[in-house]
Amino acid sequence: MTIQDLKVLICDDSMFVRRKMKDSLSALGVTKIFEASDGEKAVVKYAESNPDIVFMDIVMPVKTGVDALKDIKSIDPDAKVIMASSVGTQKNLKEAISEGAFDFLQKPINERDLLKMLEKAVK
Amino acid sequence: MFTQFFGNYLLNKQLVSPEHLCEAMQQLSTTRLKLGVLAINAGLLTAEQVDIVHDEQQRVDKRIGDIMVDMGFADSEQIEELFKTQPKGHLLLGQALVDNGYMTTAQFERALNSYKAENSLSDTDLSNSNEEAIRKMIKRFYNFNDTDSSRYMTSYLTLLFKNIIRFIGDDFTPLEPDMSAIKSVIENCVIQRIKGGLSAITLISADNNAEIEFASRFAKEQLSDNDEYTQACISEFLNLHNGLFAVNLSNDEGIELLLEPQEIYNNIKFEELINPVTIPVSFSMGLINFVIIL
Repeated sequence: MTIQDLKVLICDDSMFVRRKMKDSLSALGVTKIFEASDGEKAVVKYAESNPDIVFMDIVMPVKTGVDALKDIKSIDPDAKVIMASSVGTQKNLKEAISEGAFDFLQKPINERDLLKMLEKAVK
Repeated sequence: MFTQFFGNYLLNKQLVSPEHLCEAMQQLSTTRLKLGVLAINAGLLTAEQVDIVHDEQQRVDKRIGDIMVDMGFADSEQIEELFKTQPKGHLLLGQALVDNGYMTTAQFERALNSYKAENSLSDTDLSNSNEEAIRKMIKRFYNFNDTDSSRYMTSYLTLLFKNIIRFIGDDFTPLEPDMSAIKSVIENCVIQRIKGGLSAITLISADNNAEIEFASRFAKEQLSDNDEYTQACISEFLNLHNGLFAVNLSNDEGIELLLEPQEIYNNIKFEELINPVTIPVSFSMGLINFVIIL
């Protein structure tokens, strides 16, 4: 599988973040991109679209990214969920990893970060 | 950051008009050579390495030169040499004002000397953007005392101004706290609450045009309407700023903060905010008000 074949789910309550990430993913050749604007919708979208990789914001309304991660892992223990937050503290990093996150990114996320994560996912 | 506060000093002493200062700040912003460009010119870093450093600078509260050293792209002596070759902002501001005929060289010299004396700033403080000197200057400017709350407010504002420079631009002048700068009913604003080891609320409000331009600069794309996307851009600026503040507090003091999702409010009553501090910041695009409750 190449990174262009990946199905990617972007979960962030910020329309700005979703649009910028979508633009960057498109520039990398990814065409199968799904979006969710809160944690609850993220879980529903995951079940519907079965993505190869998920970028999940932590601070979101309705359901936090960490709670959505737990739900997704209960549906699919092999899910590759990358947690993203503007708060890149050791505490948040450790919590994300202990809940089964594939990796952790501190915002703002740029094209270089996305490429690194997509390459890691296809390995 | 001394440049922007020195600009305020010139305004307060009525040595320049707001329009002339704004024009000079814009000139300065477009002509000033950034450290990354100087590093490329000196053969220290490649353009790609400078991009990586710029990305990193949006995620850690460190000076660009220190990031270059941390990433192993240069050593501290090389960075010191580079700093020496970078023209200082406050001097460039003076030059722009003198060149445009808005001040004489003698007036500028007198103003700079009194500014340094009144703020106990040395040439080294001004040249190296000494963190402690910046904090002292901000504490003095806003009349903060020695309570914990004032200490956090000083840290919060020091970082806020750095983040404005990082994400929006350096062509601004901080103005004194001014409650009358805010309308009694704020029609449009973005809010983020912080909980955990410290409680805080920050609100960003401006008129339509200023919000559109602020958001455009943050998003690095020209926006034309003050719509949901524009508000999302301003929200994300606030989120990144608060995120960096949370990282600093976690690293420096072991205090963990929880950020709440940003909210967009219409018609919030200013009188309902408890002990707000209003920080107006004047840009060429207009006035942006940061209201902070901490």
